[in-house]
Order: sequence, then structure tokens, then C-alpha cells
Amino acid sequence: MALAFAGLLAPSRPFGAASLLLGQLLAALNFLFLERLVKLFTQASLSKAPADAAGARAGVLGWGGLKMAVVYGGAFALTRWNRLEIWPLVAGLSIPLAAIFLKAVMLALAPRRSPFGARKSVGSTLALALLAGALLAGGLAAAGVHPSRALAQRTVTQEEATPPAAHPGATAPEGSAAHTVSPPNAPPHDVPAEGGEHGGGGEQHLPNWLTILNDWLPGNPAVHWMHENEYLVFAWIAGLVFLAIIVIFMKRDALVPGPVQNAIEWVVESMEDVVGGMLGKHTHRYFPFIMAIFFYILTMNMIGIIPGFKSATSTLDVTLALALITFLFVQVSGIRNLGILGYLDHLAGSPRDVVGFAMLPVMIPVHILGELVKPVSLSCRLFGNIFGEDTLIVVFVGVAALCLKASLTALAVPPMLGITALFMLLQTLTSIVQALIFSLLTTVYLYMMLPHESHDHGHEHAPADVPHVSGSFPTEPKEVKS
Amino acid sequence: MNFAATLGLALPIGIGLAAIGSGIGLGFMGRGAMEAMGRQPEALPRIQVAMIIGFGFIEALTIYAFVTMFFLQGKIQ
Repeated sequence: MALAFAGLLAPSRPFGAASLLLGQLLAALNFLFLERLVKLFTQASLSKAPADAAGARAGVLGWGGLKMAVVYGGAFALTRWNRLEIWPLVAGLSIPLAAIFLKAVMLALAPRRSPFGARKSVGSTLALALLAGALLAGGLAAAGVHPSRALAQRTVTQEEATPPAAHPGATAPEGSAAHTVSPPNAPPHDVPAEGGEHGGGGEQHLPNWLTILNDWLPGNPAVHWMHENEYLVFAWIAGLVFLAIIVIFMKRDALVPGPVQNAIEWVVESMEDVVGGMLGKHTHRYFPFIMAIFFYILTMNMIGIIPGFKSATSTLDVTLALALITFLFVQVSGIRNLGILGYLDHLAGSPRDVVGFAMLPVMIPVHILGELVKPVSLSCRLFGNIFGEDTLIVVFVGVAALCLKASLTALAVPPMLGITALFMLLQTLTSIVQALIFSLLTTVYLYMMLPHESHDHGHEHAPADVPHVSGSFPTEPKEVKS
Repeated sequence: MNFAATLGLALPIGIGLAAIGSGIGLGFMGRGAMEAMGRQPEALPRIQVAMIIGFGFIEALTIYAFVTMFFLQGKIQ
């Protein structure tokens, strides 16, 4: 693979290809030495005999010195070589890392898992989903596939005829004059006034601490990058926050759980009931992923309630990344469980008779379309709900601030803020329900994809987005005529 | 009647229509779920889950209209 990459680069940019290869060589050597060193270290600590330990220590010294000389010397020599191209080198360095990362991912998703270990692995899978989501969102952002920002730029361009990217590092596109004067200890609800007032037709946002930071430190590239990709930053924050909570409260694993552990265990257990009712014997393999998605989305939704923060899910980038992960996960698990042939058969609508085979040319596009619509509907649903709630709150805060600014009556402000608080209550509800719906729909899609014995495949002929959910529970209770 | 005016008229109406449809659907769904819960209180959690999923599907239709409006909103100038 590495050679193929280098070969692709070689004709046009020979030095780039050389840098790529050298970077890979360096990383591979680094890992080789690291492996030796780690082995020696473990030997030294495990072995009881002093002679062995001494030998191992000498080995450590020897290998360590060699590693120093070869790897760091090589790196130093590389930096001295002035024909070096930096990006191919970085890519070359990171390709072995990426391979190891993928291997670790595969290990983490390995099918053998103790049945009741599901709860413990939620954290690790969460980290996985977080990483993958961040990577995907970052990839989307980097590749310029940035639906919401492109949209915002378009609307702003129409409004002000100066796209915000035209003056990098200067100020936020919305209400720059107001933000620059906002003192640091101003209550965050005072700031949004101008933002709400400005927007004629485009998006309206409450400014967050990144906006304020960007106005304080104009021209700082790191801050500017964070401001440009603020959703990404908030997604990371949300993931890290929940990861921290999980690690702190689940590490102790007390027999008599504390309040937080109790709450988390209650959520996990009730979700396990629900998911287990649908997936049956597949539950323990897919439950960690579903739960990680649930908690991650929940945290990202809820973080928007804190003043100065913003729901990371109120942009299409993040939700689309999550939905794409889910889509890939469902497809891959389908292929894994049904086999390639079974998967194709499933896509063809499982034809078993003449009519089924005759309908093949119609059924295959319909099913493929149905699969492709799923991520779109998942992401649009989450984005639309969260964004709608946020917009509602922005509008009400804006009205309150407008009253204050026009000094209509200061009396109008407290009721307005009260209404805003009510909508924040509604936002909490929406956050929970949307996270639940996202994870439950993931479960339903998995359920439709996985083989199950007791049912015929009749329900899978439903059009794209609407599985007859209520009719397809495997353990549906018999109807009791009273 | 130019493009912007058409959009300005059509977008709210479209959202309203979508909301009417979703409302009817939600009504049917909620009614069915409530009746089922009343008849079988012991199956309540399962019915609730199915109901929430169904709500999600129905609500998504309005959300599509909302997203469409949001995408086209910038063109009203």
C-alpha cells in the first residue's frame, strides 16, 4: 500500500515520494525498536533471576541507544535535508500509525465478548465512536464538504456582500461590533442581542466562548481554527466530558453504587432491555456501539444548554458523520452475519419464487435506495430537531435583548427569559428523545439487517424509511381480548 | 410574482402543511398507543418504545420540510 502511494506520487513529485517513503521507514523503524524495548522491559520486570534482569537491562541500554541513534538521528538528518517535502513526510509517518489504529479498532470490535461485560466496554466503544466521529467530521470539514458553513457563507454573502472567510482572523460574521466590547464577565445572555437582531434570513446563533475568544485574540491561528470549526471543538468537548464521567465513575465499580453510577447503570440497563427485546441473541455484540452512540449524542445535545456552549449536533456535519458511521456499521455487520451472498440476497429482497426473481430489477434499486436514505434521514432528523430548538431559544433571547436595548420596558425582559428557560426545559426533553430515537433507529436498522429465525422477511419489503416497527418485535405479546 | 416572493409564500405554507400531516399522524399514533397501553398496562414499556420510534419517523417528515425551508431561506432576498 505504501509503495502504491509512493508510486502514485513519484512521477510528478519525486522528492515528495521519497519523503513519503522515508517517513514510513522512520515510523516502521520506530515501532520495531519500541517493540524490542517493550519486550525487554517486560522481561526485566518479570524475570526473577538477577542475571536475567541484568542481561535484559543491558539489552535495554543497547537497543535504546541504537534506537536513539537510528530513529532520532534519522529524523534529524531528515530535517537537515532541504529537498524534504513536509506533508508527504507527515503522511508517511502517520500511515503505520493509522494501520495500527485500525487494527486496534478491529480488536475492540472483536466478536468475542463476555455477555455481561457490555457495560464496561461502553467507555471504550464511546472513545472509538468519538474518534471516528471526530475524524469523519474533521474529514468532511477539511474536504470542503461543509454543508452548514457553506450555507452560512452563502447567506452571509448575500446579506453583507463580504464572506467571513475574506478577512481571516478578524471578527465573527455576526455582530462584530457588539462582541468586541462585551466584557468578560458579562452574563452570556446579554451578548446574543446583536446576533439575534442581525440575522435577516440566515442562521442565527448565540455566540459562544469561542466567538468571544476569537474576538479577544484576533489573528491567532489556533483560535481562529477553533472558531471556524467550533462544532468540531464542541463535539470533542462533549465526548471528552462523557468519557471522563464514565472513566471516573465506572472505574471504581462499587458494589453499592453512588448516585452517578446508579443513574448511568439505570440508563444502560433499561436500554439493554429495550435493545435486547429487538436484537435478541445479537444484543451483546451490538449493544456497546448503540449505547456509545446514545451517550455521545446525548452529551452533544445537552452541552448546548450550558450558556456559552453550543450543541455540536446542531450542524449537519456532525450528524452526518454519526449517521455515516451508523450506516457503515449496519452494512458491515450485515455482511458479517449474512455473508456476501446472503447480503446480496437481502438487498435483492430475498427472492424465493418466480415472481420474486421477476421483480429483481425493481427490487434491487429500491432496496439500495432504501439503505442510502437511512443515513440522510437519521442525520436530517437529529440536525433539524436540535437546530430548531436552538433557533427557538435564540429568537426568544433576541427578543428579550431587543426589549432591553430599545428600552421598551425592562419589565418585558424577565418574562422573556422565563419563556427561554421553559424552552430550555423543552430542549432537555428533545435532547434525550432525539438521542433515544437515533440509537433506537440504529437498533431497528440492525434488526432489519440481521438474520432472525422466527419471522419471514415480509416486513422488509416496506418502503425505504418506514419499517413496520410495531409489528415486527420478535417478542410481541399476544393480543389479549378482554 | 418573482422567485423570492414565491419562496416567501411557499415556505411557511409548506411547513404548515407538513406540520398538519405530521400532527394527524402523531394523533393516530398516540391514540393507538394510548389505547394499547390502557388495554395492556403490563406491555407498557414495549409499547412506549415502539411509539417513540414511530413518533421519530412521523416527526421526521416535518423536519424534512423544516430543513428544506432552512436551505431555501437564504434565497429570499
